Amino acid sequence: MAIEAADVLVETIEALSSRAPAVGAAAASALGGTRLNLFFGDGSEGSLIASRSRLVVGRSAIDATVDVHFDDRALALLFDAQRRPTDESLEGSLDVRGPRQELLAAWRCFSILSQRASGMRIVQAIWMRYRAQARDGRWSGRVDKPQPRRRRRGNGKWDESRWPALAYLDDRHPAARELIDKNEPVLAPARSLWNGREGASWQDQPEIFDNDLHETLARCKRRVVDEVLRLIPRKAPREDLYELMRQYVTREGKGLRPTLTIATCMALGGRMEDALRTAAALEFFHNGFLVHDDIADESTHRRGLPTLHEAYGVGLAVNTGDAMNLFAVDMTLSNLESLGLARTLGLIHEILHMCRETVEGQAIELGWIRRNTVPRRDADYSRMSTKKTGWYTCISPCRMGAVAAGETDPARLDGFNETFRLIGIAFQIQDDVLNLIGETELYGKEPLGDLLEGKRTVMMIHLFREASERVRRRMQKINTMPRAEKTQAHAEEMLAAMKKAGSIDYAIALADKLASQGVRRFEKDVSFIEENPAKAVLRQIANYVTTRAL
Amino acid sequence: MPPFTYDAPLAPSPAGFGPAGPFPRANLTHTLDRRWLHYAFLSRDGRRSLVANAAWLGPAADAGDDRERFTTILLLHERGGSWSSSQFNAGISAPPWSAFRLPQAHGEVGKLAIGARAGAPAVKLDLARTSRPCTSQCAFFGGKHHLRWQSETGVRATGTWDLGAGPVDVDAVGYHERVRGRWGWPELGEWVFGFANDLAGDPRKPPAWAGVFTFIRPIADSRDTTASFMVWRDGRMCRHFPRRNTSFAVRGMLEPDALTVAPPLARLLGVRPMSAVPKRLAISARLGDDWAVLDFESEAAVRIVIPSETSLHAFSVHEVVGPCVLAGCVGGRRFEIETRGIVEFSGGAGGD
Repeated sequence: MAIEAADVLVETIEALSSRAPAVGAAAASALGGTRLNLFFGDGSEGSLIASRSRLVVGRSAIDATVDVHFDDRALALLFDAQRRPTDESLEGSLDVRGPRQELLAAWRCFSILSQRASGMRIVQAIWMRYRAQARDGRWSGRVDKPQPRRRRRGNGKWDESRWPALAYLDDRHPAARELIDKNEPVLAPARSLWNGREGASWQDQPEIFDNDLHETLARCKRRVVDEVLRLIPRKAPREDLYELMRQYVTREGKGLRPTLTIATCMALGGRMEDALRTAAALEFFHNGFLVHDDIADESTHRRGLPTLHEAYGVGLAVNTGDAMNLFAVDMTLSNLESLGLARTLGLIHEILHMCRETVEGQAIELGWIRRNTVPRRDADYSRMSTKKTGWYTCISPCRMGAVAAGETDPARLDGFNETFRLIGIAFQIQDDVLNLIGETELYGKEPLGDLLEGKRTVMMIHLFREASERVRRRMQKINTMPRAEKTQAHAEEMLAAMKKAGSIDYAIALADKLASQGVRRFEKDVSFIEENPAKAVLRQIANYVTTRAL
Repeated sequence: MPPFTYDAPLAPSPAGFGPAGPFPRANLTHTLDRRWLHYAFLSRDGRRSLVANAAWLGPAADAGDDRERFTTILLLHERGGSWSSSQFNAGISAPPWSAFRLPQAHGEVGKLAIGARAGAPAVKLDLARTSRPCTSQCAFFGGKHHLRWQSETGVRATGTWDLGAGPVDVDAVGYHERVRGRWGWPELGEWVFGFANDLAGDPRKPPAWAGVFTFIRPIADSRDTTASFMVWRDGRMCRHFPRRNTSFAVRGMLEPDALTVAPPLARLLGVRPMSAVPKRLAISARLGDDWAVLDFESEAAVRIVIPSETSLHAFSVHEVVGPCVLAGCVGGRRFEIETRGIVEFSGGAGGD
């Protein structure tokens, strides 16, 4: 199917929102309140506005203040890194009309996009598709000359018959049970040192940071999951314990915590290996908490699969969660050899604090549910959310990454608290919103699971605060019903009430406000870290929350 | 054991045909001049490993005289434990045994005793050749630096071994190498080197199959990279896969707990950390219809920290022991052995 130029822009902006949130947020900030109508050379049209730190592209014209007329060459200026702008900048390609200040805002926005996004692989892939259908020369008015076929040098047989060592490690011995048995990394790919032509250092560590946040998250997660799997023994009771742990930790997840830990450690001058076991310990804790949390909440799905207690029963699930917490301690202590006593003690101190905050947060929420009360103030929710998830999701990973790098100054460690507290709450609210309006496949939990569990979210607090007495009583009644008696109809009834009361919009706006505050605090509180690629990753994560599609 | 110094000129050949080896009769005059004899053995039961190095170095830059320096280090490893190391001043029997001291018949027994000043670790070994060396190889890099080496597999070692708890009998088979040249550690960059012998079979005969590989990668100019993979059969090198026909790849990293730092003094000096040792190393080679694959898995490593004459950063040699598979086909003869090997991952003096 033919792709129109407007579609290309829509896809590009969407990719940017998720994979380079800081770039998207900066472009949105530059655009401000300016509303653009975009007209493309192939006749398609669209619109571009900034909303809640995100760029939003529409597929139809709107009531705009600036009109931008592109032809394909001008479009190439923005995102196509394969074309040099100086070659492509032809007179009359771009026509922008509107008030001067807003024209400048549009130009600043496009400048950021073109400078920062055009080099990303995902953006290049989108543009490659578009270019492929425009081979008639319309694209740039330039036809590529046929290149003479190069004569291959060297041993011709080599190419056909070789077994490069890289292929031997990656293909002939793929990630499998055999590797796990050998305590080998399952997910980290092999690296070539020499392929007969090009050499690389055995000391080179695989690249961790990428300008594409998705890639960075995936890489950090892979390294940490490998470290986690390495510690899980392959012995009895395999079927009822270790295999369950192994399956659970390899389930899909975003990789936020490992990335925060590794990036903070490296931002402060540490090495990735210094943070690896700490990040792995956090993953163990996190997974242990999730297993227990799912039992307490009577959840049925986690990360797109049945929860552990649903699949294997409560007894085994509790025991597996306990084992994960135990292994987390083991993993932390294993830092003794590599990081030394002082840092390991620092890490243990951080872990104790994190666990205390988490169990307190869990107690607050379970207490609300047990007494069937819904707090009236958002502040109560913020306090509970910070304790229950904020510490172990955002704050502690950063603090522990810093400790692993040797940072001991309490003031500097506290510099992460407020930023990532705000971001953590915003993230949690967004997660809760996604549970109500997101797609199950993307979210990984059962649809409306939070409503069935009676989870006290910002939306529920807002609903109980704003709804009429009659609605409130009805909602109270639904909340008091045992989980097993609640049906999808009850959840949908509550969702409808929330929509009517504007609770979801309220939650989205609140998350956006908190996330924006968090991003501002990041620049202020973490200014003691010099600019480096790892700090840029932390900034991307801070912005990730502000630009998450809801 | 009194320290051995190599002040005396090398003994003339008993046969009267020039220098007896293992090195030419020439003084070391430059700070970066180096010669060494390297020994690495694995016990036939796979439990014990030995690495030792006796090195002659050119005069120190600030010494004010032209005296050669001599260092010896001994490292022992017992499976399940960590490496035990002497300092660089271990004593060694004089003159140090070498397969390259001629004439020397196959099966002729020579003595080698090496021991730490503290008493342990220490070894007293009877060494005998069963095989023949490879042709001498040379790496030239950085415009004026060079390194020349020659290896021999299948060296038999019997005797005693002391980790401090009293001597134990050892029956091992291993590898011997002579190296000489003039190079700076930063210019050399790094190497990956190692060997594997078939530990099974008749102990009086050479290993049925053995492999030795070298990968030297000078940092300054990648065109100077050297790589080779050699295969021995019944004591003779039967195939040398050259640079273009080999490939090396690594995967994962060895657990930091499995790494020891040596010599013991280095732990006090706070040397900067090195990158993690790879967990797995694969080498493949192909030449015509012949091919070979070595699949090595790191089990325990010791990092020997060597001061660099020309940079602030030390050069580190990670001696890594672990199981490996050596498989291939040479001259239509298919082979596959499961054994243990010793691999060196070295580097770290650059970037000063």
